[in-house]
Amino acid sequence: MSVDDIREARARLAAAGSALEDRPRQRTVDAFATLLEAWRSPDSVWQKRLVDLLPGAAGFETGTVREGLLRALEHWSGDALREIVSRELGSIDANAKGFAQTSVLLAGSIPMPTITSLMAPLLLHSPVLAKPASRDPVTAHLFAESLREIDPELGAAIEIVRFAHDDPACAGAFFDADCVVATGSDETVAAVADHVRSNTHLVRHGHRMSISVVRPEHAEATALDVALWDQQGCLSPVAAYCEADQAEPFAQALAEALEEIERRLPRGELPTPAAAAIRRETGEAEMRRAAGIDVSIRGDEALRWTVVREADANWRPAPLHRFVRVHPIEGLDHLLRALEPVARHLAGIASDRPRQDLAPLGAARICKPGSLQAPPLAWHHDGQPLLAPLLR
Amino acid sequence: MSDPKRQPLDDRVLAWMREGRWEQDDGRFRALALQSFSFQFEHCLPYRRFCEARGTTPSSINDWREVPAVPAGAFKEVALRSFPTELTHHTFRTSGTSGVRRGELHLDTLSLYEASLLPAIRRLLFPDLAEGQRCRIIVMTPSPAEAPDSSLSHMFGCMLEALGTKDSRFCLKPIHLLEAATEPLALCGTASAFAHLLDSATPLRLPSGSRVMETGGFKGHERTLSRDELYASIDEKLGIPESRIVNQYGMTELGSQFYDSVLREPERPRRKLAPPWVRVRVIDPHSGRDAAPGEPGIITIHDLANTGSVSAIETADLGQASEEDGFEILGREPGAEERGCSIAADVMLGT
Repeated sequence: MSVDDIREARARLAAAGSALEDRPRQRTVDAFATLLEAWRSPDSVWQKRLVDLLPGAAGFETGTVREGLLRALEHWSGDALREIVSRELGSIDANAKGFAQTSVLLAGSIPMPTITSLMAPLLLHSPVLAKPASRDPVTAHLFAESLREIDPELGAAIEIVRFAHDDPACAGAFFDADCVVATGSDETVAAVADHVRSNTHLVRHGHRMSISVVRPEHAEATALDVALWDQQGCLSPVAAYCEADQAEPFAQALAEALEEIERRLPRGELPTPAAAAIRRETGEAEMRRAAGIDVSIRGDEALRWTVVREADANWRPAPLHRFVRVHPIEGLDHLLRALEPVARHLAGIASDRPRQDLAPLGAARICKPGSLQAPPLAWHHDGQPLLAPLLR
Repeated sequence: MSDPKRQPLDDRVLAWMREGRWEQDDGRFRALALQSFSFQFEHCLPYRRFCEARGTTPSSINDWREVPAVPAGAFKEVALRSFPTELTHHTFRTSGTSGVRRGELHLDTLSLYEASLLPAIRRLLFPDLAEGQRCRIIVMTPSPAEAPDSSLSHMFGCMLEALGTKDSRFCLKPIHLLEAATEPLALCGTASAFAHLLDSATPLRLPSGSRVMETGGFKGHERTLSRDELYASIDEKLGIPESRIVNQYGMTELGSQFYDSVLREPERPRRKLAPPWVRVRVIDPHSGRDAAPGEPGIITIHDLANTGSVSAIETADLGQASEEDGFEILGREPGAEERGCSIAADVMLGT
């Protein structure tokens, strides 16, 4: 795609934006309510197409995508959307406007953040120019197609563009917008900040991760949280924290649960860098054990899953792809101290502990083990509201 | 002076390094690698336990490829010495910001380290220097006195002493030296140091015959350049073409280093070459076996210069073997940015 293609897309969006100026928001909310209902149904043609297409693009197994979508979209209803819009804007008909155009830089391979990132500016009648992530070239197109089918006027207000990440001319044209929503690594978001105009409204969504604070009876639920989306999402737990005397029993139970879930929801593709990272982290754990540190390691040669039970609560790298560390803790204060260095990156915590115990960690989502991957529509991965950050 | 128990082994390795020949000798390498493994298995308890847990002992193998490789990150957590602690003569540390654990290579002697580095430098960075000839060398790092625990500074110190002219020096901001240069020189430093230099330099042309040696990454610099961008900028600002820019690949945990082939073999593709007493394998992390040439894998190095620690080290870098000899570095975790949210914490914690 060339710079001219992007500029032409912008021109089409400008025309589409004009058509939205006097449109009642109720009609827009109704259209998106219809769209969400069309997507969340177990018989949804859009879910089916995503299940068909996403595995090839993102490397997930088909069953994992199917179960992940079913669980994630289950509560994304039209009524839930109406409630969010009313709550955030005061009322659906409130005189709230978005920017003339919003450029949305997408990242990762999980469909749900893509859907909310594209829908939010459009709810404020701000046309969207979107660049899909390389690992999910599917969701944005399906979303746009479904929107055109349900509401052609709104459907004209979204354009999907693709260009090489190192093409400065295209990047310049893409980021030349009143509002830019950037999702990605903190390095990517910082690079976007360098690209945009000084008067551009930049909404940043940097990287996040999740953890579990659990007991041995939560092993199966934790395995589900880990297996869905192969730990590729910000709501995937990368580490589990257990009281010290329960850490080893939990690690054993989690290993068994991951082995079991592998039969139902097999791990997807394992890229070479990820396989190397798993080998490296496992090797380093072996070396700690050899040095007399109390570490246990469970996994298999095919690297389908790995559980490393550490001797302490110190944070260590997360290779993802079903690699889980289990850390022993000595009470809540110890947990809070151990997580202090990474607390600002926490998106979710799976635990049945009282919410107020974990609130100091600042995670936007605290839920029961096994439900991390089914956040409500209103949730956003860094705790920001859906619409407020996009208001002009 | 190394641990007397290891001296016979060190002497054999040193003899190879000092012969002045650059010839692959599989039989000699195999014998020394297996002897090193036996010694390290016996004298480095954590390594012994690591190997035993993998079911490998000196008596169970007869191929150096079966020697278990320790992940380089282990040097951050475990003191991997194959000699008594009290004989520690020098400790090199990996670079790192405060709060981040640094890897440590403990040495009871610097003799192997120093004997290994010079043949590679002579052959691959200064292939055009006649015996006894010297070159003006400017190094953009702290000197060994300023950074005694930096293996890179130590290496440059050895280089200056062995091959540098009297006006060679360490200089972090050498622009005035470069502007005044009239004779060919070698400008060396980290990629980050070059990025800083190029940010402030007005274009100049270093004397014909000059060369650049760059190593490491962009730590401490606000932006990261691709290797192509860095080399294009060096060409534009310093007048040194890509064909005279050598990348060095080295690690604190290793006694030997690797250099691009461009000055030694300008007509052949750029790749990293290793001294004969080092073997580099590219391991497919899925299978644990050697990756085919051109296929990505974990760079794993067996360095006989490491008799005092552990010789077989699995690096954190991905690479690919070249068709004939040598290897290429693909970097650390390419594509990580595109992956899920959690990777960021890994990156941000500097691990």
